[in-house]
Amino acid sequence: MSSRRSSRGSISEEEINELISKLQSLLPNARRRGSSQASTTKLLKETCNYIKSLHREVDDLSDRLSDLMSTMDHNSPGAEIIRSILRS
Amino acid sequence: MRGPSNNTMMAFKRGFLRSLLLSLQSSKATMSLEERKRAVKSSADVAMATARGVAGARWPQAILSSSSSSSPSRMQAKVKRCKNIVRRCCHKRRRDGNNGTSFFARTALNRSSTEVARRLVKKRTKVLRRMIPGGDLLDEISLLHEAMDYVVHLHAEVDVLRLVSKALQRSTTSGLFHAF
Repeated sequence: MSSRRSSRGSISEEEINELISKLQSLLPNARRRGSSQASTTKLLKETCNYIKSLHREVDDLSDRLSDLMSTMDHNSPGAEIIRSILRS
Repeated sequence: MRGPSNNTMMAFKRGFLRSLLLSLQSSKATMSLEERKRAVKSSADVAMATARGVAGARWPQAILSSSSSSSPSRMQAKVKRCKNIVRRCCHKRRRDGNNGTSFFARTALNRSSTEVARRLVKKRTKVLRRMIPGGDLLDEISLLHEAMDYVVHLHAEVDVLRLVSKALQRSTTSGLFHAF
């Protein structure tokens, strides 16, 4: 790889492109290869939306988990699962 | 530039799950629904931040700092925030070597470099900053790095929570069958 400057303020065009495409690949519906004309605005929007949906999912799942745990009997298989996770 | 390895992510998932389960176990049962929801959300955030550790990204520390601001160290948090604001001003000054134009807007990645596009980029960048803990304090390049790191860990968080929920739900159904 060509030289990369990590000092603040001197970022190469190449590094920013790499960053952008890396971020793109993390998002769902990652664009097809060769379509490198992803606009910055689209990328920012998709990233925000994705983070928002991940937040919602985390909230939903952790609420559910908390509910399950609070109604769990000490001797239930679920409680044993949790204990074994905590033991590992 | 590489993302976290598989081993790192496995360790993160395990650490996150253990921290979360421990804090959910010790949560008081006498909370209102509102309080409970907030406590769960905070537990998940703190568990995620602790499991990731503070090296190499800002968001974990931002989460941990804000979660402890309800404690007597509020003054410390205030001091820290002030320091950060000063730091951010220094950043801005450096950036203003280009008349204050945002880096994103300056890059050739926008098809159109019209004022509208620039304003849209600025607006979206602001939104992204709000979504990432500690995002307000970062320059745009760092913001991109943070976004990637944060997304990767959020994704792993969701994976783990899905697995555990499924496992627990399955165990309760099979428990019912065993009763007969």
